[in-house]
Amino acid sequence: MLKIIIPTIMLMPMTWMSKPHMIWINTTTYSLLISLTSLPLLSQPNDNSLNSSLLFFTDSLSAPLLTLTTWLLPLMLMASQFHLSKEPLARKKLYITMLILLQLFLIMTFTATELIMFYILFEATLVPTLIIITRWGNQTERLNAGLYFLFYTLVGSLPLLVALLYMQNNMGTLNFLMAQYWTQALPNSWSNILLWLACMMAFMVKMPLYGLHLWLPKAHVEAPIAGSMVLAAVLLKLGGYGMMRITILLNPLTSFMAYPFMMLSMWGMIMTSSICLRQTDLKSLIAYSSVSHMALVIVAILVQTPLSYMGATALMIAHGLTSSMLFCLANSNYERTHSRIMILARGLQTLLPLMAAWWLLASLTNLALPPTINLIGELLVVMASFSWSNATIILMGVNITITALYSLYMLITTQRGKHTHHIKNIKPSFTRENTLMMLHLMPLLLLSLNPKLILGPLY
Amino acid sequence: MLRRALQPGLSRGVLGRGLGTHRGRSTLDQNGKVSEIKKKIQSVLPRGAWNPLRDTSYLPPEHSDVVIVGGGVIGLSVAYWLKRLEKPQGAIRVLVVERDHTYSQASTALSVGGIRQQFSVPENIQLSLFSVEFLRNINEYLAVVDDPPLDIQFNPSGYLLLASEKGAAVMESNVKVQRQEGAKVCLMSPEQLRNKFPWINTEGVALASYGMEHEGWFDPWCLLQGLRRKVQSMGVLFCHGEVTRFVSSSSHTETTSGEEVTLRRIHEVHVKMDRSLEYQPVECALVINAAGAWSGQIAELAGVGKGPPGTLQGTQLPVELRKRYVYLWHCPQGPGLETPFVIDASGAYFRREGLGNNYLGGCSPTEEEEPDPGNLEVDHDFFQDKVWPPLAQRVPAFETLKVRSAWAGYYDYNTFDQNGVVGPHPLVVNMYFATGFSGHGLQQAPAVGRAVAEMVLDGHFRTINLSPFLFNRFYLGEKVQEHNII
Repeated sequence: MLKIIIPTIMLMPMTWMSKPHMIWINTTTYSLLISLTSLPLLSQPNDNSLNSSLLFFTDSLSAPLLTLTTWLLPLMLMASQFHLSKEPLARKKLYITMLILLQLFLIMTFTATELIMFYILFEATLVPTLIIITRWGNQTERLNAGLYFLFYTLVGSLPLLVALLYMQNNMGTLNFLMAQYWTQALPNSWSNILLWLACMMAFMVKMPLYGLHLWLPKAHVEAPIAGSMVLAAVLLKLGGYGMMRITILLNPLTSFMAYPFMMLSMWGMIMTSSICLRQTDLKSLIAYSSVSHMALVIVAILVQTPLSYMGATALMIAHGLTSSMLFCLANSNYERTHSRIMILARGLQTLLPLMAAWWLLASLTNLALPPTINLIGELLVVMASFSWSNATIILMGVNITITALYSLYMLITTQRGKHTHHIKNIKPSFTRENTLMMLHLMPLLLLSLNPKLILGPLY
Repeated sequence: MLRRALQPGLSRGVLGRGLGTHRGRSTLDQNGKVSEIKKKIQSVLPRGAWNPLRDTSYLPPEHSDVVIVGGGVIGLSVAYWLKRLEKPQGAIRVLVVERDHTYSQASTALSVGGIRQQFSVPENIQLSLFSVEFLRNINEYLAVVDDPPLDIQFNPSGYLLLASEKGAAVMESNVKVQRQEGAKVCLMSPEQLRNKFPWINTEGVALASYGMEHEGWFDPWCLLQGLRRKVQSMGVLFCHGEVTRFVSSSSHTETTSGEEVTLRRIHEVHVKMDRSLEYQPVECALVINAAGAWSGQIAELAGVGKGPPGTLQGTQLPVELRKRYVYLWHCPQGPGLETPFVIDASGAYFRREGLGNNYLGGCSPTEEEEPDPGNLEVDHDFFQDKVWPPLAQRVPAFETLKVRSAWAGYYDYNTFDQNGVVGPHPLVVNMYFATGFSGHGLQQAPAVGRAVAEMVLDGHFRTINLSPFLFNRFYLGEKVQEHNII
């Protein structure tokens, strides 16, 4: 693990000491190399974990998420080049440092053995994200967005700290590898119910659960492109990952404590999908679609069956790549027309045909077209929830339909039809943008050839 | 180092000013740096001078999808229709930038307020017909919850245009066009005129056209305030400032015939605050030029007309300021309450104002006698020489009158063909025009607003086809000459 962490730390002095015309080149290439170093971890031979040390380990749940995180940094750097081009040099380097710091904390979070270390780094990821949103966001609303983001997550996770300390006292250790063997069934009592809530609320806010999701549209819309990418692709998955780990210690309370959250998630996914149909702001639409997909993941994790865990892991990886790609596409629109409103930039297919191809593929993966891994994830989740209760198939079916509706609505509004007069002279697509889209899409499509890499520990 | 520290000079002033009582220099204070840091820390602490969260509510937002330059009746009408026609509701962020919130020089507030369908160009007639329908149902269009209804005091007394022998044939063909479009106009002979309006002296009049319905005058200030109120309730932001700069980028492309054109795109609008040097760059996707008489200057800022004359690059927006006078007089024996808005063959016009035998009127000066538009001072001799004689000849009762007051206002005069410019500029891709109406802007405002909104949202005119009014005609030389301009 140090072979990933130390190079990531060293990316920071490299940024500060690079020549001005080399900062982007250096950081992008080296972060790409680091992501290649994390690829071998994907070969998990059995359902045990690969333990690098007492502090770090990877198993088939965290390895795909780790690879996604490291893969995303070069993509974020490529996407940020345009809007940072007019900033002074020190600020560019500061921005890149924030991204690298965030990357570092995320790597360590996904590979942490000790749950307290996981918690500390979970909180630490908030700081660079907050700085990126409030300092480099586009509008005055970004201050509000940063506040919502910070305080929702903090308030949700403070009980988690208390719960973890209590468990440390009880069990003697919070080393996850040992805790999963030493855990005892929690008897049903009020204090244990509170313990369950305390453990889960932090991750519910992060996912986000439908009632606690207000921070997400704000943060995603106001963040600059790299902030949106990392928020959508990785930070939301922190919640899912944490829930998967911590539910092991919370048996058998989950079987009945999960009911309200299941209801909220299932209702919420239909609600947020419907909101997407009414959105006018492109980034806001993609943000709400993230909430909808993550609600599926919450349902999967709370159902707690092998099939659902496979679906949850697959969906997390697939959604990470798809959502990040959609944000990059929306950003390429925004950089040209200076407006995020969909109806003001229509009919782009005739002007930018290659970008229209990326839009088409991204929309198709968003609506879970077979044989992509999006479909595998969603299908497994639907099957698992059907076995939990037959009635959920109605809600899931409605959600899949509405997801298809808004994905195609977004595609048709931005790409098809006659283009508006005032986008006649937008710049053609840059190679950098096309590379960005392709680098998002290639893993997504290649994984459909070998999905067992991302199906998690219960495959 | 010690010697430098002990040297007198600038730094001593820094030290001495409110930082402490000792006047000597400490050995730590190298070049005044410590005292500067101390000053900075003190200013950050609660009683200091620096406040990072200062109130910037007077500034426009940093980003707005559409920026409308000019907050008169045309600009507000465009804002209203943009918010009304957008699907879904609440999508587009609109900012209206108005330099003078008292509207002291705006053409809207100083207008005589007439509305007529008696034009020669069919599009003008259609615009006016829709506008009058808007005005008649103004409380359905501009209703705001909990606010009182609007009373625009529409006096539907009609217009009476008088033509001499020379202009009679043109008037007949115009009336035919007007009837085709749906205006209700009747032609009257001098005999019929004398029967209907006994106060008219029909000497020299060969034909008259009288609008029977949908013509008259109304209160433009009420329309302006009604639009403003409604538009604010729909979520449009207002900004009190002046547009000083457009930040744009250009790109070169080739047309199908192989010639090179430079297309420009406006990225940012710099809005300068009133009476200060502070400005706010507003990032925008579209700019709508509804600046009225000053549209020419705004267009120049955007780069319209910067090129060799005779090319599309070099075609300027031919809208300039023209000053027009309006006089208010009292005449106790004057025409009664049925008096229409009379436009004489000589170009002088008058209408009844209120119920106390007051009349408003004026006359457009000829090209040679155009007054200097530098200020809004009234020339009373103009009334004596140019306005009174034709009016007194036409209406003998006006031989005894007393001028109560007078004012002057600007026409956004289109020197090319005296008709409005509506639609996008072919080269500055995201600037739309809604200006140049040369004196009949107020009466066409609601319809023009709708047309521009349709152009922005759909890409083409849907209800009234205003393609003869596009900017291209200045380059192609296709005049849309309006014969009935006062």
